[in-house]
Amino acid sequence: MLAASLYITVCSAKNRVRMRLRRLREPRYLIGAIVGLAYFYLAIFARGRGAVVRNGRRRGTDGPPGFPPIFELAGTSVSGLGVFACAAVAWFLPARSGLLEFSDAEREFLFTAPVSRRQLLAHRVVRSQIGSLVASTFIALFATPVSGLARVRLALGFWILLLTVRIYYAAVTLTRARLQSDVPAVRRVAWLPTGLMAAGVAVVGVSVVRQLQQSSSGLSDIIVHLARATATGVPHVVLWPFIAILRPPFTGSTQTFIAALGSSFLVLAAVTAWMLASDATFDAVAGEGRGAAAAVEPQAAVQPARARSAGWTLALTGRPELALLWKGAMATVRGISAKTWRYAVPAAFGVFGISFGVMQANRLQGPAASVCVVAAIVAFGAVLLGPQVARLDLRTDFEHLDVLKTWPLRAGDVIRGEMAWPILVVSSMMWAGVFVAALFSGPAFPDVSFVSRWSFALAAAFAGPALIAAQFAVHNTATILFPAWVQIGTQRARGVDAMGQRLIMLAAIIVSLAIMALPGLLGGGAVWLIFHRIAEDIVFVPAAIVFAAIVLVEVLVVTELLGPAYERIDVTSIERGES
Amino acid sequence: MAIAVEHFTRTYGAFTAVDDLSIAVAAGEIVGLIGPNGAGKTTTLRALAGILLPTSGRIVVDGHDLAADSIEAKKRLAFMPDEPHLFEYLTVDEHLRLVARLYTVPDFERRASALIQELELTGKERSLPGELSRGMRQKVVIACGLVRDASVLLFDEPLTGLDPLGIRKMRETIVARGRAGAAILVSSHLLNLVEEICTRIVIMDHGRKIADGTVAELASRAEAAAGSNLEQIFLKVTGRD
Repeated sequence: MLAASLYITVCSAKNRVRMRLRRLREPRYLIGAIVGLAYFYLAIFARGRGAVVRNGRRRGTDGPPGFPPIFELAGTSVSGLGVFACAAVAWFLPARSGLLEFSDAEREFLFTAPVSRRQLLAHRVVRSQIGSLVASTFIALFATPVSGLARVRLALGFWILLLTVRIYYAAVTLTRARLQSDVPAVRRVAWLPTGLMAAGVAVVGVSVVRQLQQSSSGLSDIIVHLARATATGVPHVVLWPFIAILRPPFTGSTQTFIAALGSSFLVLAAVTAWMLASDATFDAVAGEGRGAAAAVEPQAAVQPARARSAGWTLALTGRPELALLWKGAMATVRGISAKTWRYAVPAAFGVFGISFGVMQANRLQGPAASVCVVAAIVAFGAVLLGPQVARLDLRTDFEHLDVLKTWPLRAGDVIRGEMAWPILVVSSMMWAGVFVAALFSGPAFPDVSFVSRWSFALAAAFAGPALIAAQFAVHNTATILFPAWVQIGTQRARGVDAMGQRLIMLAAIIVSLAIMALPGLLGGGAVWLIFHRIAEDIVFVPAAIVFAAIVLVEVLVVTELLGPAYERIDVTSIERGES
Repeated sequence: MAIAVEHFTRTYGAFTAVDDLSIAVAAGEIVGLIGPNGAGKTTTLRALAGILLPTSGRIVVDGHDLAADSIEAKKRLAFMPDEPHLFEYLTVDEHLRLVARLYTVPDFERRASALIQELELTGKERSLPGELSRGMRQKVVIACGLVRDASVLLFDEPLTGLDPLGIRKMRETIVARGRAGAAILVSSHLLNLVEEICTRIVIMDHGRKIADGTVAELASRAEAAAGSNLEQIFLKVTGRD
């Protein structure tokens, strides 16, 4: 089986490279490749050369990448604590390990082949190596200039780290699934690693909390306390495996690297054994009739999404944009799992209530300022990142372009309808952030008047959605005009050329957004110039309204102008991602 | 003519998928579009549905040019592809409702309920595509096409994934719609189905139309033996016998 896995991996890699080279015959890929290579040159080699010139040295250092002195002292144990925390959190995450994601072809060919579940897992580990190797190579290349040998150590160290993390997460996923088994013996075995992790969390947690109760004057003190909490005794024993896998990439010499490698291999072997043992136990469950897929997939994960009632029935008449907005809403409501809502909503209310209560009861400026800043960051992040993340527009629905193109709708209506729901969602997030920030801004910033604070908030509430809509317009314009250069759905083109294309698109999007915002800024700025002496800070509200009105009109015009391009779009020009 | 394809050509780079194709389908006619793999049948149907643009040529649906007057043309079209593309997070009922809204379907509730019964989707109204079998998803696509009064129906391998009962019902549905006056173009490799339900047959090969007529006319032109079925005629016409 190992030979077969290697054969699949090598052939796939070889053919992928061949395909990427062949597509360079198309100008768009060639341009992308040139930009991508230029970026690599500037980011790695030119940067390294610059550092050498600044340091007056011909070669980079042989040591690990430079860290602040406090990190040199306590970095490994504190980082080990961080890795341990991530490892503990992994038990609660609903996501599934990528190692257990078999492609359709793997299911067709390998699940029906006479191979054991254990061999299937080994196959996935082998197949994931190309990705891990590429990732660790990139980390080493982009690290602070170090000598060639140090880069090799960094790459190898990260490779082992990534491999261990992948296998650990697969083992956690399988163990979690075993805990749901109907067979008591299977569940009992699964409690062993679960109990060990829980005990570890208790031991380390108590030690950390004790140390953090001591007074700290800053970040350095906190790091020292955390290092003290984890450097000795039982907590250190608990954290040893997590520190061991972190050590190789950060060693300063080849000798220490080889010494550190032994410990990390030991951890890797233990984690691998745990994963394979988990699989064997799962086979017992599969033997009861769940079949091959159930052997490697937690039962909950293979269940298709359920049709939850959204409490909104689409009216049979009305604007087409609203029908598409409704479609987006259904996808969001049903795409978010019940678990997310169950925890996220009460948690959000809890945080809000507690912060407000503490603020009111103690008349403290600190917590209010914290909440205010966090809320403002949420609002700012929604405006800045929301349109990149919320892709429930044409960027997702181009996968259904075959269906969209058959609808008897004006292109402008389709484009606006596709954008409407994500604009509403991201704007709502921004409004919530602005509202909370404004609410908590009084005690947090007592020197700023009520009128000024709420003027800023209202101005943000008006201007934000316009900026969000403009960004969605730019992204959807790019999708329509350059479908081959935009990530459609969850697929993602890979390779230097694809990366170059993304860089070009990013630059084009920033420039387009600036151009779209400029008339609004001029209009809003004019209002501010004329009235700011009379109205003081209140003037920000009408200025923002003028800004928003101008930008929204631009969005409307853009969506209308895109109509002919949408009609002409060729479904065959859409890039199909690589699996 | 309900469907008029005039000198339609579609190329992909240097490859010509459909070359100078002209077909006409009258109201009430059921035309079978057959041909070997890669003949250009699906490209033709996708261009007729407005998904692909012709490289050259013209497509007219009920008097409306698909390029110049696409909205009016598309209102009259229903395309049932072989691969069911459904929205992951919309239920069966919601798919029908969305189509009804986009195409302004009068008397939707009655039509939807009758179709759900006819296509044996009863009990699946609130299911998401992920909960349905391939055949069921295919039926949903067909229901979305039939829920409105389209005067032109395009079927690409309509029986893929259907069970024997579903196949029989689908056959009956296509014939009934044809009798009701719809112009129907059916692409299929199931030659016995095409022979049974179609009033006329168009054979394509290498992107070109190589024969057009009733089974009897095709047999006569191909100089096939008396009593030859469509399969024998097809093999003779395409030179694969």
